[in-house]
Amino acid sequence: MRAGRSLLALSIFTRTGVIALLCFLAFLTNYHNLKRGYNLPRLVELSEGKGMRIFYEKTDAFFSTFGDPAEEAQKNAGMTWSIRLGGVPFTDPIAALSVLVKSHRWELGFALGLIIPLSLALLFGRVFCSYICPASLMFFAISRVRRLLLKFFWLPEFTLNRGFCWGILVGGLITAVWIGHGVWTFILPYFALGQTLFHGIAYGALSFSLGSIIVFSLLDLIMGKQFTCRYVCPTGRLLGAVGTKSVFSLKRDASTCIDACTSCIDVCPMKVAPKFDETLDCSMCGECLTICPSQCLSIGLRKSSTPKPDPSP
Amino acid sequence: MKLSRLGFLRAFAAGSVLPLFYPLLDKFSAKTGRRRRLLRPPGARPEKEFLKDCISCGQCANVCPNQCIKLSDLEDGLENLGTPIIDARAQACILCMACTQVCPTQALEKLPATKEGIRAVKMGLAFVSEEHCYSFSGRTCGVCYRACPLPGEAMTLGLYEQPHVHAEHCIGCGLCEQACIKMPQAIRVVPFAELARQAAEDQKALEDQS
Repeated sequence: MRAGRSLLALSIFTRTGVIALLCFLAFLTNYHNLKRGYNLPRLVELSEGKGMRIFYEKTDAFFSTFGDPAEEAQKNAGMTWSIRLGGVPFTDPIAALSVLVKSHRWELGFALGLIIPLSLALLFGRVFCSYICPASLMFFAISRVRRLLLKFFWLPEFTLNRGFCWGILVGGLITAVWIGHGVWTFILPYFALGQTLFHGIAYGALSFSLGSIIVFSLLDLIMGKQFTCRYVCPTGRLLGAVGTKSVFSLKRDASTCIDACTSCIDVCPMKVAPKFDETLDCSMCGECLTICPSQCLSIGLRKSSTPKPDPSP
Repeated sequence: MKLSRLGFLRAFAAGSVLPLFYPLLDKFSAKTGRRRRLLRPPGARPEKEFLKDCISCGQCANVCPNQCIKLSDLEDGLENLGTPIIDARAQACILCMACTQVCPTQALEKLPATKEGIRAVKMGLAFVSEEHCYSFSGRTCGVCYRACPLPGEAMTLGLYEQPHVHAEHCIGCGLCEQACIKMPQAIRVVPFAELARQAAEDQKALEDQS
């Protein structure tokens, strides 16, 4: 139970960190401008005010620990779609697929950016969804609001076949080739959130992607808990497929599991059934670990693929 | 088993049709033709290849120290959604080449921030309107020449500091357009994609006449 709580706390902490990072990267545009325009805290304060001076000085001090602050700051840019941190590129697998089908070529740095996301999926499965994705923090909050609303109202809980997600992936790729890569703004919630944050902070303008965020939020509120994560977002489906045989996974101790209890199935935001050892698409969010009454669930190395025959008749 | 496969295919078909409704969003775009006057960042490959590779990740806008790169919104049409654009009159590119260094997909080709790198840029072409220009109406100005990153090559001065743009050297950064003190501006930069489009249109009109 404590393991589950700490995992949940960790996931909230890391996702808040990712949102803070996105905001900081958007602010970095202002920093570049101040650095090029004034290059002096006193001038920044006179022109832009005290808040900007503090931001400028802190950023300068942070980046000067690595080297020339202006050069180091240039190595950090982007959104969760395609990001560069400390000069290390990270590429979204969907972005890589979209470029592959549209322009038939990958740049070396772009392809190398796939290594960390894919190896993370091979090691832990779909952890991107509950530890990194900034939009899923929003959906997590919405699912809690939904749980509160369910005490007073009736809200439907829809289920769909997994094929829907694969269909959206293929349809999105076709539309990307047909019209442009902009279609992903309306399909991937984390991309839309990144765009909204960037437009809002760097330009002080409302972005078109705010509309798609509102649509996804309403889907989540009305259609079911974390509906978007389960049935709309193709990234989660793709990472889930990559991490089918992940090294670490959710495990169940069958000897202590209570037969009549289905609390883990009820609580799971991804509609995974840990009770039946069915952990495809598990994002290791830790919700089932907090609720399991017999504490038979744990996270560890995946069992060997050939299960031993059940000793009980 | 057969039923679940059927369900999978049904859901797959429903899902794959959904993104195809995306072009309907074009109804909301204003289509002002504003895009025709907007430049791509330096190092951008020809428009068609650029749009193939640009994934609208916003890294170029993120590192731009001049805040001249904006990410286009819905009003510029769906194919340009989220791609970087520069409005030269509002804020022109200072050719620091920071954006070309970070582009992950090489939609912007890497260029060094030297004179050679600046000469390799092809963003557009500047055109002087002689009836608007102060220098051409006898009032010595020469502001655009002083803003030009390649003075003497891309732009030379004549009598009363009258600017003369040399098309083979002009890189179309738009610094002259931003600097122009006349309202409306007497010098304008037209993106290469728009020039090519107009040339094709003229060609077509000629063929229709003959």
